[in-house]
Amino acid sequence: MELILIAIVALAAVLAFACVLARTRVKNRLISLAAALGEEPPGSASVSDLLSLVERSAERVRRHDSEVERQQQRFALALSAMTQGAVLCDEFGSTVMHNAFARTFTEARHGNAIVRAAIDDMLGRACNGEHDQREIELFGPPPRLLFVTAQPLLDGDEHLGALATVDDITDQQRIESIRRDFVANISHELRTPIGAVALLAETLVDEVDPLVVRRLSIRLRDESFRVSHMIDDLLALSQIEGDGVTESERIRVAHLVGEAVDRIRPAAEQAGVSIKVADFSEGLALRGDRRQLVSALFNLLENAVKYSDAGSIIEIRAAGDDDEVSMVVQDHGIGIPAKDLDRIFERFYRVDQARSRETGGTGLGLSIVRHVARNHGGSITVSSREGEGSTFMLMLPTGLEAPARAEVK
Amino acid sequence: MSDAIRRQFHAQLVEVKSEIVHLGALAMETIPRATAALLNGDLKAAQSLIDDDDIIDVKSIAIEDACMRLFALQQPMAGDLRSLMTAIKLNWDIERSADLSVNIGKAVRRIYGVELPPSVRGVVEQMSAEAYRLTRLAIDAYMDLDLSIAAALDDMDDRLDSLQADLMRTIFDAHETHGLGLQPAVQLALIGRYYERIGDHAVNIGERTQYLVTGWLPEHTGAARADARARHAADAQADGATWS
Repeated sequence: MELILIAIVALAAVLAFACVLARTRVKNRLISLAAALGEEPPGSASVSDLLSLVERSAERVRRHDSEVERQQQRFALALSAMTQGAVLCDEFGSTVMHNAFARTFTEARHGNAIVRAAIDDMLGRACNGEHDQREIELFGPPPRLLFVTAQPLLDGDEHLGALATVDDITDQQRIESIRRDFVANISHELRTPIGAVALLAETLVDEVDPLVVRRLSIRLRDESFRVSHMIDDLLALSQIEGDGVTESERIRVAHLVGEAVDRIRPAAEQAGVSIKVADFSEGLALRGDRRQLVSALFNLLENAVKYSDAGSIIEIRAAGDDDEVSMVVQDHGIGIPAKDLDRIFERFYRVDQARSRETGGTGLGLSIVRHVARNHGGSITVSSREGEGSTFMLMLPTGLEAPARAEVK
Repeated sequence: MSDAIRRQFHAQLVEVKSEIVHLGALAMETIPRATAALLNGDLKAAQSLIDDDDIIDVKSIAIEDACMRLFALQQPMAGDLRSLMTAIKLNWDIERSADLSVNIGKAVRRIYGVELPPSVRGVVEQMSAEAYRLTRLAIDAYMDLDLSIAAALDDMDDRLDSLQADLMRTIFDAHETHGLGLQPAVQLALIGRYYERIGDHAVNIGERTQYLVTGWLPEHTGAARADARARHAADAQADGATWS
């Protein structure tokens, strides 16, 4: 009996000891956990104090984590919103993050595959501390020009990875070349005839042979006409550009076409080119500036005549409804090279410098047409193939109100 | 362990494919580049095109080496084997396409100074666009394993063939009306041939893509015919032997 009692007491003592030991161990683990969470619990803290401390701390960490996550999301969205492509990689060269624009170059094919290869290569180098930038010209179609940079991300001496950026500078470069060519062309266009005038006049000063004087004078007259023709065109263009549509009236398309065709007819006859006006609805009409519209059509016809061979036919067609009128001038001349199609509406742009000067153009005709179209809220488009001819289409809104329409009908 | 090796092997196959696509992109770029150099009579552009072919050659050799290493080390079978074989074949076709563009670049030097008649320029431009389109579609078919496009390439190539015929006609016309000389006329005819051959390589890529997916090549039909003929001839001979 006593033995049993002693055994029970001993067991209770062992249990109590184990309990205290376990409690101390739990407490110690809680203290180290709290320390890991950045807390400094007082030595006197009880287990339940420690527990609530750890709980509070865990809550704080969770909040912090979600804030970090949101911050990361914010960065990712900001990256995506950039018009530039951005690729971020870690110090081993594997991609950590890329934005929407850069994503077009991952798993890419065709031209984009070339860009991808360049980005990979440059990021690899940047991870070794190399700065690099390259211009990548893609011939397309459509042609593109991309500017890629890569730089290492350093924290002191420690490599943290690298950042590559991709910029599409196609438009930028196009605008740059328009501006550059414009300045070069306008000086050339003005200097050539004026230089000729000066030279002719100089020769004339000492000339006594009446035949030569006559020949020189004729050339002098032609060259001055040329300059004045160009200045007229420039003035017309600046007026069209500046004023917009000043006088708006209701015009029958048939009248417009008739007037333009009458004006071009002598030149066409001289060139041996015939002009065919396709039948179209007599009722077709629109609201606009008559002078501008006739001049636009005339310019289109003038080009068609200039670039057609003798014996070929130029067609002029018109179609439309109550909302829109389209006028088409189609020739079977030499056509326009594909690479120039985007640029022919620029001021002074010439496909072939030599040939167009022979034809006596000013290089302003098509920009006048484009401005007239814009002033009327319309557009001008062209399709062409070298050796087969060009088709210009002028689309204009009729701008007629409902009652006016009734009147037309 | 072997699972990890397989995974690595497949990653390497994917890598080879993406290298082929990159090579294809480089080769495709040479087509409009060569055409621009030709139509603008731009010797500098032609020279840089010729020089840049070295980059394509380096890349092509690297792909071949990678394929050879995989053959030797992995001894692939079935689909994997076909995919490596296809890569090697495509590598060759693509590299050859780029060489044809280089040939155009060299022709630019030979006809420098000759004014090309507009009709010739128009057809050349169309041939270039068509050769580019076919190559692009071929690479697309290979990337997407698209059998219908791969099979259609052969028919689409007819357009390029008929453009080549157009070019020949235009060259003759230009000789009559514009007095196009014999030397440039021959060069232009060759240039037409180069574009046409680029289209043929695109058709090859399509056929190889079909082979990759199905294990069947259009040439197999011809091979089966030859086989049947040979068997027929052998039978006839055997019959003759019994009769005589």
